[in-house]
Amino acid sequence: MENARILVVDDDKAIAGAIEKLLVMEGYEVIKAYNGMEALDALVLNDVQLIILDIMMPKLDGLSTMMKVRESRNIPIILLSAKSEDSDKILGLSMGADDYVTKPFNPQELVARVKSQLRRYLQLGAKYSANSSTKIVVGGLCMDVEKAELTVDGEPVKLTAKEFKILEFLMRNAGRVFSAEQIYEKVWQEPAYSVENTVMVHIRRIREKIEINPKEPKYLKVVWGIGYKIEKI
Amino acid sequence: MATKLRKFSRSKVLKIVSFLMTVIFITSIVLHMVYVYYRNFDLEPWFVKDYTQSQTFIDSELTPAIDEMVKYIATEGNWEHDPDYYYFFTDGENYYNNIELSDLLVQKYRYEFNIQLWMYKNNYIPNDVFITEFDTDEIKENTLYLAFPEDYIQQKQEIWNSVREKIIPIASSFIHSVIAAVIFFVYLMVVTGRKAEDNEVHLSPYTDKIYSDMQLGIMLLTLFLWFSYAKYLLVRPNYMSSGYGIKMEQKVSMIFIGIITVIAAVICLLLFLSLVRKIKTKRLIKHSLIYIILSGISNFIRGFFVDSRYRNYPLTKVLNRRQIIFTVSSGIMVFFSFILILYRNILMGFLPVIIEAVIIFWYFYENNKTYEKINMGIQESYQEMMKSEKMKVDLITNVSHDLKTPLTSIISYVELLSKEDLPETARDYVNILSEKSERLKNIVSDLFDLAKSTSGNLPLDLEFLDLKKLIVQTLADMEDDIEKSNMRIRTTLTENPVYIYSDGKKLYRVFQNIIGNALKYSLQGTRIFIDMEINNNIVNVTVKNTASYDMDFTAEEILQRFSRGDKSRSTEGSGLGLSIAESFTRACGGTFKVEIDGDQFKVKLGFIISNVVPPEEA
Repeated sequence: MENARILVVDDDKAIAGAIEKLLVMEGYEVIKAYNGMEALDALVLNDVQLIILDIMMPKLDGLSTMMKVRESRNIPIILLSAKSEDSDKILGLSMGADDYVTKPFNPQELVARVKSQLRRYLQLGAKYSANSSTKIVVGGLCMDVEKAELTVDGEPVKLTAKEFKILEFLMRNAGRVFSAEQIYEKVWQEPAYSVENTVMVHIRRIREKIEINPKEPKYLKVVWGIGYKIEKI
Repeated sequence: MATKLRKFSRSKVLKIVSFLMTVIFITSIVLHMVYVYYRNFDLEPWFVKDYTQSQTFIDSELTPAIDEMVKYIATEGNWEHDPDYYYFFTDGENYYNNIELSDLLVQKYRYEFNIQLWMYKNNYIPNDVFITEFDTDEIKENTLYLAFPEDYIQQKQEIWNSVREKIIPIASSFIHSVIAAVIFFVYLMVVTGRKAEDNEVHLSPYTDKIYSDMQLGIMLLTLFLWFSYAKYLLVRPNYMSSGYGIKMEQKVSMIFIGIITVIAAVICLLLFLSLVRKIKTKRLIKHSLIYIILSGISNFIRGFFVDSRYRNYPLTKVLNRRQIIFTVSSGIMVFFSFILILYRNILMGFLPVIIEAVIIFWYFYENNKTYEKINMGIQESYQEMMKSEKMKVDLITNVSHDLKTPLTSIISYVELLSKEDLPETARDYVNILSEKSERLKNIVSDLFDLAKSTSGNLPLDLEFLDLKKLIVQTLADMEDDIEKSNMRIRTTLTENPVYIYSDGKKLYRVFQNIIGNALKYSLQGTRIFIDMEINNNIVNVTVKNTASYDMDFTAEEILQRFSRGDKSRSTEGSGLGLSIAESFTRACGGTFKVEIDGDQFKVKLGFIISNVVPPEEA
């Protein structure tokens, strides 16, 4: 896996170069392309395990390139874009991207996301299934309720008992929004009285453990003025 | 000298005195007349000295005498009592006389006239007929000779003289009153409106406010009321005196007549002088109600025909003109049909109807074409607007892309640089670069958020949410920052959830910015207050903090883009926090107000409470 080959596609050569160096430092092999057409050519010639793809590019833009890639390949694709609207992210993800990183990005975060995607793709690919009744899977989160274990993209994460219970409750009902009171009553088994802070503190701790960027959570989200939920992925 | 005189003649005191004098003399004139009426004075003795020359003599002596004689001669009857005069008459056969003609002819006051001529002239006695002195000895037939005894006339003349003595002083005082009233009145008319200081005509702020025609109306009404009441008062004492002095009742009546005359004179004089002032300033007509109403109506009607206000809208101008033509021509047609109906010309009556139908057709046909053109214009400008709106959005997106791309390179290479083996100083520089590029990233990101929301292109994700919960969540989310800042936050929230229909993510950003701001710029050891209260259907959230620095800016300035308190200019953040908060709040349908009171910095938010219960709670 250390030798995984990554295709970096960006019309800005400086950015492509910077990403290349960052990834090389982490021990990956990098191929660069400066537009969609070049990327597709590079894919034919090389065995690539992950693509970092800019959206706004001349000749063939990122989204079209991605659709072409998806016709034949199932490798993870991380979209890079200067567009930061939620609608742009949703569009990208729904068209087949595995992750979406907005420019200007934090280099560390990009590397972390690359690692996480590769782990999921290379290590877990085969055994990644939710068939077992004791396992709950939401995106890269995999919870083994019996063993009280949680892995994020295959990486084991340690949670306290309460954190585990909260996460389990939310993962079982992925996509549904629960208020702090509902969560508290379910997890603590006590009547809830001004528990917002308690629940929020736990949520924040869980986020720090399972999210690459806790400020922009992928899984555990706050629905402001309503409650909390695990995004259904 | 001249100015001195002018000053004196136009002084207020003199004007008021003249006014009062005019009123007094007018009243005096009226009372004189009433007095003469009550005393039943005959006015003739005033200007006729000799009794025998007066009309009274003719009316009360001569005419009755002739009447008596005619009756006497015609009936050949007897005298009821002997007449006071001498007479002689003959028709040739009969003689009617109480004196011989020779005796009669020596009388001083003797008269002769042809009785046939007199009867023919129907009671009319021309002076020259009988005042002719005669000295012929021949006796004329059908001629009446009359003579009054000298002592009888003497007696009458004495009475005449005594009446004259009484009437002349009254008459002369009456004449003086009239002259004085006219003099004062003319003086008032000349000086009214004039002031000693200048030659302008000044209008009174009181009486001149009344419209001219109303003034005239009030004057006429006053005069009418005065005349009717005075007449009533005049005849109320049913007693006439021709003797000496007047009765108590009549005195009372005179007093009342005097009072109402004063009142009427004051009112009429004030109004009349006002009219004089208006004439002087040439405002008599213009300041009348009739003129104002008529000019208003004419302006209103003219407004239909003046199309200068459609100068910039040629299509509307065309519509307006067509409307006028339609209305006027239809009016003419109606008039013609009316006339034809009057003359019962049924066949011709159809002509205006047909013409009117043509006019209506023309009107609708042309108007529809114009409407089409107007609609096209609106459509065009709407598309133009949409295009420019799209260009604005594109501009924001493109500029955003162009700024973010080089920034991405900078951040990435700074990161790479920091991984190199660098000397100590170079490492410090890299750290500074890293810090500043991070800040630049935040500024750019904030700037585009703001640009989007102020240009009205902020996509909103609206849902029912509990504002109270949102505040609690935000505070819990920011707990680390709050702990770090050593500030304490005191919240006074509502007991029950407060549901609003808004975008939770945007509002989180709003509260995050406001509270973050308060944490950053509060004086150490002071508390931050977050209060929430409900006023009718509005929920207000107030965030109050004590500033750690001199707030030498106004509430408006702090919301201007990039404006910050001077001392904090070098710290992290984009300086757009409050602007974004304001813009997002407005985009979410809330109100945003900043108040600065000494060291107190207050942000007040307002949202409309939703009456609809969110589906989860229902």
